[in-house]
Amino acid sequence: MESSEVERFEAIVLPHLDAAYTLARYLTGNTEDAQDIVQDAALRAFKYFRGFRGTELGDGRAWLLTIVRNSVRTWRQRRHPESADTAFDEEQHSDGIAGDDPAVNLDRQETRARLGEALAQLPDEFREVIVLRDIQDLSYQVISEVIGAPEGTVMSRLHRARQRLRRMLVHGGKTGERSYDRD
Amino acid sequence: MTETEFERRLSAAIREEMPPLRAPEELRQRVRAAIHNAATPTRWKRWGPYSNQTRWLALAASLALVALGGSAGYQVAARRAGEGALADQVLASHVRSLMPGHLTDVVSSDQHTVKPWFNGKLDYSPPVADFKAQGFPLIGGRLDYVGGRPVAALVYGRRQHVINVLLWPAIAGTAGPSDRTRQGYHLLHWTAGDYTCWVVSDLGLPELQEFAGLLRADQTRSSR
Repeated sequence: MESSEVERFEAIVLPHLDAAYTLARYLTGNTEDAQDIVQDAALRAFKYFRGFRGTELGDGRAWLLTIVRNSVRTWRQRRHPESADTAFDEEQHSDGIAGDDPAVNLDRQETRARLGEALAQLPDEFREVIVLRDIQDLSYQVISEVIGAPEGTVMSRLHRARQRLRRMLVHGGKTGERSYDRD
Repeated sequence: MTETEFERRLSAAIREEMPPLRAPEELRQRVRAAIHNAATPTRWKRWGPYSNQTRWLALAASLALVALGGSAGYQVAARRAGEGALADQVLASHVRSLMPGHLTDVVSSDQHTVKPWFNGKLDYSPPVADFKAQGFPLIGGRLDYVGGRPVAALVYGRRQHVINVLLWPAIAGTAGPSDRTRQGYHLLHWTAGDYTCWVVSDLGLPELQEFAGLLRADQTRSSR
C-alpha cells in the first residue's frame, strides 16, 4: 500500500481532529461516544478520500466536520429510533418572535452556569449551529457547507437558537439531565 | 439591550463558558491506527460482502482456534479439564483485541521496525523476517494473548489474503509441521529453532506451506 496516501490524508485531516472532537463532544454530550464517532468519521473520510485520489478536496475541516455531523445523526437515530422519522421543521421550531422577553444578565455567574445545560437541551439542529459558530468560530460559509444548508438558513437558525437559549436562561428551571462537563 | 447586542454578548458568553476542546491523545492514536489498518490491506476487501466487524470476528475466531491448539501443546491437563472454558476466555480476549482497527499494533513492512517494537512488551524477542521478495510481504505486528501468555503476532500478506503468525518460546524439542483446516482456515503448526509457531490463513494450503517453509528456514537460521 502507499504510505504517501496515508500521509497525505493525515496532513489534510488530522489537524482538524480537535474541531471534530469538539463538535462530537458537544453534540453527544459525552466523551466516549464523541471519540467513537470521530474515529468512525475519520475512517469514513479516509475511505472516501481513497476514492478521490489526487482530487483537490478543498477545506479538510469542513469536510471532516460534515462527516462527524452525519455520524452524530446516525448515532442519534440508532439511540432514539422514534425520532428518526421526525425531520427537523424550521417552522415548527421557529417559536415566533420573542419580542418582550425579560432581560437576561449574561454577566451573572448563575446565568453562565446554566448556559451549558441550556445548550444541551436544544435540538441538534440548533445546537450544531451554536457549536460551529459560537464555540468553533467558523464562518457562515463553512457552517453552510457542514450542515448542507444555505447561509441564510444558517443565520436564521442561529438567531432562533439564541432566542431559545435566551428563553431558557430567563425561565431557568427547565433543565434536563444532559450537561457538559468541561474536559 | 437590542436583540443583536444580546446575541453578540450571548455568543461571547458561550465561547467563554464552553471553549473549543482538544481531542484526547488516545483518540489521536486510535484514529491513526484505524487509518493505517484501513490502508494496509486493500486486498481484504475481497474477502466478501462482510462488514469489518464480521471479518474481525472471523479472524478472531480463527485465532482462537490457534490459541486453543497452542495452549494445548504444553497445557494438556488444562485442555482436558476445560478446553471450552479456555476457548471462551481466549475468544473473548481476541474479539476485544481484534475489534476494528486492531489487526496490527505496529504497521511496518520493515522487520527492523517490527522486531524492536516487541522490546519491553514480551519476555522474548521474536524472529521477524520480511518475505516480500518471495511474495509474502510483512504488514506489521501486534501483541496477543494466547495460552495464558502474551505472544507476538506477525501479520503477512499474500495478494488479498492475510496470514497471521503467532509464536512464542517452545518448552522443548521440535515438532511438526502439522496442518489442519477449521472453518475454511488452514492452520500450520510446528516447533523449531526454539519457537512454537502457528500460522493461520485462508490462503490455499500449498501456498501457505510454501510460506511456512520460508518461515521455518528463517527461524532455524536465526536460532543458530
